Amino acid sequence: MKPLLRAELLKLRTTRTFVVLTASALALSLLVVVLSTTLADEWTEQDVRDLFTADFTGLFILLLGVMGMAGEWRHRTITSTVLAAPKRLQLLGAKTISYAAAGLVVSLIVTVTIMGVGTLILSARDLPTVGLGELADVLWRNLVVAAFLGAFGVGIGGLVRNQIVAIVGLLILTFAVEPAIIGLAPDVGRFGPTSGAPNGLLGLDDPFGGDSEELSPAVALLVLIGWVALAYAAAAARLERRDLV
Amino acid sequence: MPAVEISDLSKRFGKVEAVKGLSFEVQAGRVTGFLGPNGAGKSTTLRALLGLVRPTAGTATFGGRRYHELERPSAQVGAVLEDTAFHPGRTGRNHLRVLAAAGEHPTDRVDDVLSIVGLGAAANRRAKGYSMGMRQRLAIAAALLGDPEVLILDEPTNGLDPPGISWMRGLLREQAGKGRAVLVSSHLLAEVAQSVDDVVIISHGELRGHGTLEEVLGGDDGPATEVRTPDPERLARALEGRGYAVERAGDVLLVLGASPEQVGPVAADEQVTVLGLAPRVRSLEAAFLALTGDES
Repeated sequence: MKPLLRAELLKLRTTRTFVVLTASALALSLLVVVLSTTLADEWTEQDVRDLFTADFTGLFILLLGVMGMAGEWRHRTITSTVLAAPKRLQLLGAKTISYAAAGLVVSLIVTVTIMGVGTLILSARDLPTVGLGELADVLWRNLVVAAFLGAFGVGIGGLVRNQIVAIVGLLILTFAVEPAIIGLAPDVGRFGPTSGAPNGLLGLDDPFGGDSEELSPAVALLVLIGWVALAYAAAAARLERRDLV
Repeated sequence: MPAVEISDLSKRFGKVEAVKGLSFEVQAGRVTGFLGPNGAGKSTTLRALLGLVRPTAGTATFGGRRYHELERPSAQVGAVLEDTAFHPGRTGRNHLRVLAAAGEHPTDRVDDVLSIVGLGAAANRRAKGYSMGMRQRLAIAAALLGDPEVLILDEPTNGLDPPGISWMRGLLREQAGKGRAVLVSSHLLAEVAQSVDDVVIISHGELRGHGTLEEVLGGDDGPATEVRTPDPERLARALEGRGYAVERAGDVLLVLGASPEQVGPVAADEQVTVLGLAPRVRSLEAAFLALTGDES
């Protein structure tokens, strides 16, 4: 497994995809933080906490995972990848762990940067900020969610395989299906993989201002583990059976 | 034990039976040409051998073990499949670094194989800028990375220019000379004829011919000899008198069922001048067409 992990991490480092997605996530998150902290006049500590939590990193990490796996079919590199690693379940496992690690790194870069910039601007404007303990609490939650989303993306990429379909499908799930379920049936929606369960772990309020309670962090963590396991199992079943012609 | 053993291999895709009970072996230290018309099942067979396609029946093994059962597959088997693809944004060197990491090969080996295939100068260019020939060389470099005992090459000369094809021929012979087993599929029959020791011919997924190049070229109609003489009628009569069938074409006779060792003494007995005497050799193309029924 270790050589495969090394190979997958090297793959991530040797194309521009990782850098471009990380830079995009960072730029978008910074833009939101700079505009929010510069323009808003009234701040509470909870607002600050929410601001450092609700960035766009998750979506980019999800896409990174999808592209990491579905890209093997898009670029027709799956054959040489499987020749180098013929035990396909190990290969999928290595990819899942690698993209979980990648999600962690992207989230670390983005969260630490927006925390630093946001805190500087708020301090300069004599607005409330949060202490290091609070920041650390936000950070670990962001990192854990990012790791799960990276791994979940690999599972989706392995299951759908067509990169465009997988990405469009995930965008629809993230921006239409899950929000609709959260709005219509919040008790079901809070178990969702891209918003519901992550929000529970992040401690974010219902984005639609509803009355439903988010999952507790422990339950949300278990639900996320379940989603990743389900995506891995489905992708593994498909990858294992498939003839590579 | 043969380096590669295909035993009663069958593969069905839906209603199409791509490979039907195919059996043959590839020996170490020899280059084996794997020939067949388009759609004969060559690529499916190679992919089944490499674990990319699951056989419907039968086995395809390396030294008795299936590809995925090998301890370090890329150190034991190197493969170049037709239309090998690379991530367009990754450089040639980085592509090999990834494979070296996955196969636990020393990083130094990357520059070694780049040098062997003559891609050293282009190693840091992204693969999307590579010509077809350069891609093929990169694929070959990847196959050589683990210095494997068995090489599987599917149409390896695709995209190579004439010097590249000549280089490939040398590489195949060099690898066989080192004791490696080389299985090479190709549709360039003249090219194959210059490079291989053994030939496997398949058609419609079934074995049509298997043996040394000489055996396959010899065909089923026994030996034949071409003899050139300024007195063809007299020699023909003498040969026919000894029971040989003779075909006449000007001053050249084709003596069927006779080797040069049998024709020479007849000419000597008759005191007929001989200007040329050689066994008839069918072209690989002729043998191929005869075995596959001219369906290519």
